[in-house]
Amino acid sequence: MTQSDNKPAATHYNQKPIRRAEFIKPPNILKSKVGSGGLSQSILSKAQDLLENNTVDFRPLGEMYLNQLQEGIDLSAIDLDSPEEDRHGEKNIRQMLYPSMQLKANGGMFHYDLVTIIGDKLVQFLEVIERPDLEALEIVQAFHTTIRAVLLGQIQGSGGRYGNELVQALDDACYRYFIKYPDNIDPHKR
Amino acid sequence: MAYNFNSVTVLVVDDNIPMLQITKSLLLTFGVGNVLTAKDGEAAFELFQRYDPDLIITDWMMRPMDGITLAKKIRRDKTAKNPYVPIILMTGFSEKHRIFEARDEGITEILVKPFKARDLYKRLFQIIEKPRQFVRSENFFGPDRRRNNGEYQGPRRRQEDVAKMFPEGRVEMSHATKKDLENARKHLDEVRSKAGIAENEEITITDYNIEVDFVEAKDDDDNNNE
Repeated sequence: MTQSDNKPAATHYNQKPIRRAEFIKPPNILKSKVGSGGLSQSILSKAQDLLENNTVDFRPLGEMYLNQLQEGIDLSAIDLDSPEEDRHGEKNIRQMLYPSMQLKANGGMFHYDLVTIIGDKLVQFLEVIERPDLEALEIVQAFHTTIRAVLLGQIQGSGGRYGNELVQALDDACYRYFIKYPDNIDPHKR
Repeated sequence: MAYNFNSVTVLVVDDNIPMLQITKSLLLTFGVGNVLTAKDGEAAFELFQRYDPDLIITDWMMRPMDGITLAKKIRRDKTAKNPYVPIILMTGFSEKHRIFEARDEGITEILVKPFKARDLYKRLFQIIEKPRQFVRSENFFGPDRRRNNGEYQGPRRRQEDVAKMFPEGRVEMSHATKKDLENARKHLDEVRSKAGIAENEEITITDYNIEVDFVEAKDDDDNNNE
């Protein structure tokens, strides 16, 4: 009889496991403080009104993130002149990814829903590419230019039909890129 | 009766000042008695040690210390005042691998930006009503990463399962269930036609010699022995 004929030991070779996970139930301090019953609809509506009626001008913040994104694009473009083994692909993607995520996250909080929609597409694109090659950078630059136009044109909300067309055009560009360069998709993020 | 947040202290951390102010205003509208604010993880940790807040809501990307590092410090630093404090992470990332990364560092709940007032409330409700137990193992300390809602997610194959799927008043069938029923009906028709049983006749398996094509699943041990 070979060892592999044996059934796997149900009790870790008859030894007690040394490393165990300990489960802890901490006291629910919040619950003891707030009681029960939830929040009323009127409070939630009031809070939502507060969000919808905030008068924060998102444009300076948006411009700041766009500048950071442009720095990332420029650094990545310079990096393309270096020999392949000296390039910092992942670092450069991060430099572009973080401001893109901020644009996506904050646009919609301050009435610029279209910035969030476009930013989301950009984040999705940057999340899957493995190397920022020249054509990928052109696409990122197109996203940058479009978001800038939305901010300069003060296009609040989703932008209606015009907004849909912009998003569709950028989406198509990403699809075309992935059809042309199927190998530039990070296998871990497929 | 409703929640009374009057005696609750919440620490909000964000380097984006308008966002920090909005989150603070939302919490005050919910009735939170004390809202502390910090612009980065380092300042937040100081406030955390000094005021021992009941809840932390933090952004992810900040300098010099980001929200994830703050969570890690709170969970693992031996001097931390309350390593069990619930932490909500606000982020624009919604990709699975980012969520897992945050979860693995001890984040309790994720709030994806942009969010609505109700989204923030839902996370608070979750923490209050369905708090996660904590897990301490060799490589991890933090809220249990599994969300066990007690609901079996696998295929339903028994009569009582089907009954559960169609509670009183709910007559709509999911696409998957419809497909399963269609397949079952097809198989039954095949069995009937092979055995020469009419549609309205009852099947008694022992009366007929029915050949059924099926592939036997190999178990892992068989594969390993090959």
